[in-house]
Amino acid sequence: MTGGGPATLDGAQVPHQVRRGEIVLEHASRSFSVRADPGRTLKEVIFRRQASHAGPAPVPALDDVTLRVAPGDTLGIVGRNGAGKSSTLRVLAGIIPLDSGAVACGGQVVSLLEVGAGFGRDFSGRENIYLNGALHGLNREQIDARLPAIVDFSELGEFIEAPVKTYSSGMFVRLGFAIAAHLDADILLIDEVLAVGDEAFQRKCLAHIERRIEAGTTLVLVSHDPSLVSRTCQRVVVLEAGRVAHDGPSAEALSFYHRLMGTPEPEPVAP
Amino acid sequence: MSQSVAELLRYRYLFEQMVRRELRAKYKGSLLGVLWYLANPLVLMGAYTIMFTVVLRSPFHVHDYALFVLVGIVVWMFFQQSLMGAATSLLDQGALVRKVVFPRETIPAATVTVQLVTFAVMLVLVAAVVVPIHGSLSVVLLVLPLLVALLFCFALGLGLLVSVLHAYFRDVEPILGAVLLPWFFLSPIFFPIDNFPGAASHPWARDVLHWANPVAPFITAIRAVVFDGRAPALEDVGYMIAIAVLALAIGQALFRRMQAELAVVV
Repeated sequence: MTGGGPATLDGAQVPHQVRRGEIVLEHASRSFSVRADPGRTLKEVIFRRQASHAGPAPVPALDDVTLRVAPGDTLGIVGRNGAGKSSTLRVLAGIIPLDSGAVACGGQVVSLLEVGAGFGRDFSGRENIYLNGALHGLNREQIDARLPAIVDFSELGEFIEAPVKTYSSGMFVRLGFAIAAHLDADILLIDEVLAVGDEAFQRKCLAHIERRIEAGTTLVLVSHDPSLVSRTCQRVVVLEAGRVAHDGPSAEALSFYHRLMGTPEPEPVAP
Repeated sequence: MSQSVAELLRYRYLFEQMVRRELRAKYKGSLLGVLWYLANPLVLMGAYTIMFTVVLRSPFHVHDYALFVLVGIVVWMFFQQSLMGAATSLLDQGALVRKVVFPRETIPAATVTVQLVTFAVMLVLVAAVVVPIHGSLSVVLLVLPLLVALLFCFALGLGLLVSVLHAYFRDVEPILGAVLLPWFFLSPIFFPIDNFPGAASHPWARDVLHWANPVAPFITAIRAVVFDGRAPALEDVGYMIAIAVLALAIGQALFRRMQAELAVVV
């Protein structure tokens, strides 16, 4: 995450200067080794015995993906398990580097890849708000200023002082989203996490996301829930084996997705 | 380079949070918690004092030998625990590394800083005992923070190095553990660096023990100040500055080179 400038990765050429809220992926490829023992040992490196357990070839998670998202756009990413959806988000978040190609995100990127990623289970909700804010580069004063709004949004009330290990999964996601919602994202990356909250909280989150989008935030949402995607996103990318199989307006892309998955197309959702 | 420094500065509150969090988890918020950690060096001090004054009949001719050993042990324990803690730190925080973007140096740096806090408290307690008993009160105690700061930089540099290496190669921590044990015995902890029984007949051994071991000058200098109440040798201080800068430069450079894949390997 960078403050202001485009997020670039070591060695990758930035295609051009990205605007705040803009996302550019150019010919992005990334594969992962699927060997059973990922940790090589120093001993093997020194004695050069790597060949002894050459496993299956690396599996591509992103295979020559090119994607441009304009500021304020809402993009849904759908696809089978293992199609590269989460890897795409992690690349956009800057967590994993590309093997080749380029990625650039303009402005503050906030990612919500897992419910309560980085929560200390023995610490209270309030303490975790400070830690999470700090993880996103905020200082104490900035978090102090947002604390009441975050606590209020999370609807945790007095439980904010209880250790998060006592929270239900719903409380967990409410806290996680409440924090992410108050980080002034230019680009918001969300992976599936909304599904955990109850419907009322989901609606509240969506309303919040809509307000952010009106203010110019770009949203990238990975989900297996087509109705959530069609409600939230104007544009949908269908990934298949690490490649873009379809890219277009949500209704059209989702019907492509349903054909791909062999599932019946649901009735169109009333706007 | 200046951009990465700005990044680190932006995340200084994260660093503070991590240090506080680990300190609290470790000591449950009480000074008594720190005192527990003093038990370990005291037990070692007792064992080595019996070993070298009773079993081996004190070959070193050091007055207040137990306190002499204690100072060395406290310095060594900071060094050892910093490296062992840093080695596993990135894996311990794997959930964060895999899911959130922030400067990864923060993690091993926080681990070493937590050890520094423990070390500082112990050093003050040890000095409060050693100085009056051994009568080593002197104005040179004022350079102690500088020596500690240099030791911190040295440990931080090595900590960055072993943390990122262990994330990729999981045998680094056990290898480190195996190296630290003989290193401990070869460090001038329970013998004075220039005045042990074989020093006169084997001057080369004295030089090797003093200069081939980067921890030796730190132990010797800190002990000179706290135990002997005299200024550290200038060549020791020069060596400390050089090795601290070198360790930090190498540790930082290697960490920067290797950190990109951390979210994949931890």
